[in-house]
Amino acid sequence: MIRKAISKKTRFSLGFFSVLALLLGYTLLSDYQHRRNPKDTVIPNWGQLGEGVQKIVTPDRFGERWLLVDAQATGLRLFLGMTLAVALSLLIGIHMGCFPKFEALLYPSLSLLAKIPPTAAMAVLFVIAGRGYALHITVITFGVLPTMAMAVYLAVKSFPDELQFKAYTLGASHSEVVWTLLFRFVLPKLIETTRLTIGPAIVFLIASEVAFESSGFGYRIRLQYKLVAMDVIYPYLAVLAGFGFLIDHLLRRLERRLCPWSQHR
Amino acid sequence: MKSSPATVLPSLIATLAVLALGGCTGTEETSEEAPPVFSLAWSEYPSWSVFGVAHIQELIDKDQGKLSAIEKKWNVDIELQEADYETCIMLYGASEVDAACLTNMDALSPSLSVPSVMILPTSTSDGADACIVVDSITNVTQLRGKEVHGLEKTVSEYCFVRNLELLGEQESDHRFVNMDPANAAVALQLKEPTVEAIVVWNPFVMQTLDKRSDVKVLFDSTSIPNEIIDAVIMSQSSLDKPGGENFACALIDAFYAVNRSMADPATADETLADIGAKFASLELEDMKTVVKQTKFFSDPEQGKGLLTGSELPEIMKKVVAFCMNHDMVDREPKIGYDSQAEADLRFDATYIEKVQTDL
Repeated sequence: MIRKAISKKTRFSLGFFSVLALLLGYTLLSDYQHRRNPKDTVIPNWGQLGEGVQKIVTPDRFGERWLLVDAQATGLRLFLGMTLAVALSLLIGIHMGCFPKFEALLYPSLSLLAKIPPTAAMAVLFVIAGRGYALHITVITFGVLPTMAMAVYLAVKSFPDELQFKAYTLGASHSEVVWTLLFRFVLPKLIETTRLTIGPAIVFLIASEVAFESSGFGYRIRLQYKLVAMDVIYPYLAVLAGFGFLIDHLLRRLERRLCPWSQHR
Repeated sequence: MKSSPATVLPSLIATLAVLALGGCTGTEETSEEAPPVFSLAWSEYPSWSVFGVAHIQELIDKDQGKLSAIEKKWNVDIELQEADYETCIMLYGASEVDAACLTNMDALSPSLSVPSVMILPTSTSDGADACIVVDSITNVTQLRGKEVHGLEKTVSEYCFVRNLELLGEQESDHRFVNMDPANAAVALQLKEPTVEAIVVWNPFVMQTLDKRSDVKVLFDSTSIPNEIIDAVIMSQSSLDKPGGENFACALIDAFYAVNRSMADPATADETLADIGAKFASLELEDMKTVVKQTKFFSDPEQGKGLLTGSELPEIMKKVVAFCMNHDMVDREPKIGYDSQAEADLRFDATYIEKVQTDL
């Protein structure tokens, strides 16, 4: 039968197997490449990767630990960008859901903007925002805001009428309905959308770092790519993957903590 | 249908094994009559687009399995792969192609893992890399403390640092800030207040000078002739393969053939238009300037002259020193200047000579 539950043990061992298969696949690939060219650096073996990790965590000639500097820069940019995007999408989404005039005003332009990849509109964003943090925050916001605002708006639209009538009947004011009912109804959706848009946000941020920055993951990956230093790039990618996994986990926990009433886990 | 892990795993492994084996046998398939296949990765740049034009002029067919005039002459099957410049470096570093169009500087890093030979210099930057500043900056000393924007660890930074040296400036008094050349050019064109000086290469140099009249070239690569060399770099192991030398000769032969059609008044304009087609949306007149600033080594004498000349070792010493100072290589690459040398990167005019005697 499909969709039948499996035991925890089976689930864990299958997950373990898939990660193991990934690592094994990489080892085989690296081995194959080193048989073609023993000095290959494109698919570094584990020893070379170890050296790469050494390189990114020990201070360079200028006393900078690359990983630290880049993680700080990229992390702050991502945090600021996502914070702004979440705040704005909540504001816009709730207004659109509550007030049909806002809905009529914003819906067409939001659905148009949602289809534009910010990586291709970098020049426009550059004119709007200039350089530095402002640019990165704009790129991230531009990239994820339409999707997030739309998700909030749809969540508000799906708020059951009977709950709204009940609240008004019990004497709640407009703002009480919005903050004590609607907001709580929307919050789990918002957290889940944030979780799903972090991935694209990282892609957009790295693209703008590639083009404009002298620190951060995008900057380092591009420079090292040109020097065929994949022993540096792959650990960076591993850090990105780990970071994404961690954020995902934290947001799930946050959702469970803040919204115990939420349906999905 | 019930499927436990015990039944899923073996079939999964079997599938993977089949895929792996299929992949291995696929690459070794060569019939006896067909000429050996070699590949060249090239990116859009005046003296490299020549290979794209060689396909248009039916000298080399870019696809594997199809032969044009020059391929038949040298009995090799040449595959031309067009890609981004940085992807070319990667393809070459991964031994996915036998040769690539790279600069002398960018060849150093891959040469540490893939012993390499410069078989053909195609052009040198003679004004194609330039530092463009706003009009209020008239002297290099005014650049001190200002941010100069360009792509780090590339010929742009090299051109900047070398010119500072020539002008008696200290590199430590200046700040070279990383920015993609296309974006640096746009930033200056848009009069972004924090961007007053950029170092970029063509077509961005020409575009920027074209779009904004209150900027000028402060210095450019004309002061460092022959130091930035565009070239075809081939791996030693591919050269040693049967047919490898013929592949080198065929590329050289095609390069000079296109150069001859550029020199011939009857075909010059059309060839130039073909070369510039994808490089930039520039008029034919502008393309003529671009080609002037990217000085082609258009005949075997010029190519040989550079590879065997006495100034090349001096130039490479400077380039290697720059790469060492800017953490672009893990160890100092060994450079060789004759066909026997044991080296990471070798300069060898043998194949040009071979083609020359044949012409």
